[in-house]
Amino acid sequence: MEFAFVIVGGGIAGVTCAETLAFLEPEKSIVLLSESSLIKTVTNLHAITKTLTDFDIREMETEEFSAKHTNITIVHDVLMEINDEEGYIKTKENRVIKYQCLCLCMGAEPKLIPQANEFPQILGIRDTDSVENFLKKIKDCKQLLIVGNGGIASELVYKIRNAAVHWVIKDRHIAATFIDPGAAEFFQPTLENPGINDPPISKRMRYREEDIKKAGAALGPDWYKNLVINGANTEVPSEVKIHYMTEVSSLHTLQNTENSEFPIEVILTNGERIQCDLVISATGVNPRKNFVTKNKIELSEDGGIIVNEHMQTNLRNIYAAGDICSANWPIAKHWFQMKLWTQARQMGCYAAKCMAGYLNNEEVLQDFCFEIFAHSTKLFGYKVILLGLFNGQKLGTNYEILLRMTKGHEYVKFVLENNRLQGAVLIGDTDLEEMAENLILNQIDLSPYGDDILNPDIDIEDYFD
Amino acid sequence: MLDELRNACRPGMVGGFLPGVKQIANVAALPGIVGKSVGLPDVHSGYGFAIGNMAAFDIDNPESIVSPGGVGFDINCGVRLLRTNLFEQDVLPVKEQLAQGLFDHIPVGVGSKGIIPMNAKDLEEALEMGMDWSLREGYIWAEDKEHCEEYGRMLNADPSKVSMRAKKRGLPQLGTLGAGNHYAEIQVVDEIYDKWAACKMGIEEKGQICVMIHSGSRGFGHQVATDALVQMEKAMKRDNIETNDRQLACARINSPEGQDYLKSMAAAANFAWVNRSSMTFLSRQAFAKQFLVTPDDLDMHVIYDVSHNIAKVEEHIVDGKPKKLLVHRKGSTRAFPPHHPLIPVDYQLTGQPVLIGGTMGTCSYVLTGTEHGMLETFGSTCHGAGRALSRAKSRRNLDYQDVLRKLEYLGISIRVASPKLVMEEAPESYKNVTDVVNTCHAAGISKKCIKLRPIAVIKG
Repeated sequence: MEFAFVIVGGGIAGVTCAETLAFLEPEKSIVLLSESSLIKTVTNLHAITKTLTDFDIREMETEEFSAKHTNITIVHDVLMEINDEEGYIKTKENRVIKYQCLCLCMGAEPKLIPQANEFPQILGIRDTDSVENFLKKIKDCKQLLIVGNGGIASELVYKIRNAAVHWVIKDRHIAATFIDPGAAEFFQPTLENPGINDPPISKRMRYREEDIKKAGAALGPDWYKNLVINGANTEVPSEVKIHYMTEVSSLHTLQNTENSEFPIEVILTNGERIQCDLVISATGVNPRKNFVTKNKIELSEDGGIIVNEHMQTNLRNIYAAGDICSANWPIAKHWFQMKLWTQARQMGCYAAKCMAGYLNNEEVLQDFCFEIFAHSTKLFGYKVILLGLFNGQKLGTNYEILLRMTKGHEYVKFVLENNRLQGAVLIGDTDLEEMAENLILNQIDLSPYGDDILNPDIDIEDYFD
Repeated sequence: MLDELRNACRPGMVGGFLPGVKQIANVAALPGIVGKSVGLPDVHSGYGFAIGNMAAFDIDNPESIVSPGGVGFDINCGVRLLRTNLFEQDVLPVKEQLAQGLFDHIPVGVGSKGIIPMNAKDLEEALEMGMDWSLREGYIWAEDKEHCEEYGRMLNADPSKVSMRAKKRGLPQLGTLGAGNHYAEIQVVDEIYDKWAACKMGIEEKGQICVMIHSGSRGFGHQVATDALVQMEKAMKRDNIETNDRQLACARINSPEGQDYLKSMAAAANFAWVNRSSMTFLSRQAFAKQFLVTPDDLDMHVIYDVSHNIAKVEEHIVDGKPKKLLVHRKGSTRAFPPHHPLIPVDYQLTGQPVLIGGTMGTCSYVLTGTEHGMLETFGSTCHGAGRALSRAKSRRNLDYQDVLRKLEYLGISIRVASPKLVMEEAPESYKNVTDVVNTCHAAGISKKCIKLRPIAVIKG
């Protein structure tokens, strides 16, 4: 078999890459190598600002997908070996596929706490497969422990009903991956009273994460939307106890003789002991690299495949995109890499452009989305928009924060350095995203306005038109 | 406007946001200004110049300046109107499908290849050629150009003066046209004030359907303006130019910085025309698809295309003598009188059509330029409804459900991606466009011709 483009991975990065190529190069042959028969496609793409988009994920049967894109062939198989000198790959089922350009988009796998191997009660949540496993197990749970402070952990905590939850985080405040303590405080009431802020039925058509079944790709942004996570303890309302600034130190199984209704006991680094049915580990991901290459592929410290500004690895005609890669170009001041759906999509698309440009000998300008970090998500039922250095990343302590908050309504945080906007957190319907994006990109001196820039009585957006 | 002034005069207010009227006065003190710094009825505070401000500078005076603040960040933000030979009863039963179709055709996802410049080479050409690029690519009709200011192409555009960052910012992000301010409206002729002039525009009677397209240069324009502001601060020091407000960064028209800005601003203007042309193409496609006839048979001609945020070289009579001026119009529309050499043959007798976009749910107007406006305001009039209430204020006063109900009551079908967008441009947050237009009419700087009422809004 020989193809112009071979893409490995049926997640957001891989599928976006294949789709973009199918569009840019309708005459060329593309193969998408996917472990699962369900692949993830982006739907309802909506541009909020120049760099900020909102989209839904739909899982699609590969047949349906191939019918839509006639020049994409989907192969269900697993990559085993890459011969970068002669330009072919070998798969688990002994297929040999020749490529002109290869793009690696295998994503990442959940990072589990080290004890995970010994205890079946420890679950990692990362892909659709693990969610199903989790849903099965939680049915019999009365008390569980969640480790991790990212988006998945935060949403799980918010969604779980009928079970007591112990949430173990190593930070000073919840959801630290995305937000600052102030915003955590803003969210606090929704945790104490889960469900109060469930958004009203949206007028917009949304595809559902239909029957969560097959293995492989990472979860989409709306993965939890239709989940009903019910534990076994129907009598008591769910309660969340947060254990701040601590980590799991060790755990052991409890024997029935110890007169406990729970199978395991977790000991935290602060000495606390918690008995529970289940431990959920949602502590981030490690790039999935389980193949061999003829020549050494360069990896970064965190295990990601190093790519340059054209998404190229050090090996000839081999590209990488999404969670598996580590950006290694001169990074723009207001951008940084984070393993998110947003960036997986952007990288997949941009890698496609680069590959097409390479084969056609065309100049490709780096996509502008790598100039500013931009992510739109939902946390605890609120719309959350993160722009630029939203938590003062890279700025040390040399920055100012400008804040506006209306309880239960909105939370606006501007990060300023030398009176210039560097980043913003916008929670709720603030209408400020486009202006904030432009102010970060333009680096306009805001000193004349002082605190008035967030004065609710001033129509700031129109002002900068 | 008066609210702004009142706020600014409150004790304890220093610096910060200058009220629009004060900004107009600061502009009047800029070097080389000719005649008055004019505020139009929809004036409100903006960066440097107020929005709804025009000012002309004598090109032959070596002291004269050009200021990016006098053009705005969204360079060549403007409005285009297409007519059809359909009537309200033809469209009403299918307006939902049509609105849906229009939206689907505006590239919101991957699948828009070619309609907008997708790669570096395309963009370079589009920046230089403006609507000639769209014409060459086969997306518009040759006659579209005739009904466009500058024939849809500013000849002094020089893409080599545009920074790489601006170009990157101008390329579509993963196949999207842009967001927020782009929109199209399906409108019905609600009233005809000047039957003869309307006739010249191909508007025969009430009930006729038009399509209004509203878009600009967005991020690309922002970058061009930002780059220029930085350059000009340096030039001001070098040339000892002093202004009353630091935001009025400017450079002498004939300085390298001034010329570079004008050339890159022209490129941004061309970019905006390509955007409006793409949306024109998509609108024609959607109507043709819906009614199963060609856009030709639907008579979907461009009535006119106006720019709100732009600086142009024009000849005006000053003190009885013709003078070449650099006219800044920010939130202000050119409105040339009958017989002016720069307006198309079709409108030689009526005066230039001036399109005043309302906001979602409010009426829009077509006006014509007048002799009086030529004398009083260098041939300029208002641009549309300015926002009277700030967004935040309107949030307090308005309930989202109320906005929706209100629009429902007006008989408009709205397709929104999120409630935020309805909120953003809800009619209640704006000054009444009718008042603004009537004021301009009464002042004689433009003449009412047609009133249009929206029946569907499509946000891009």
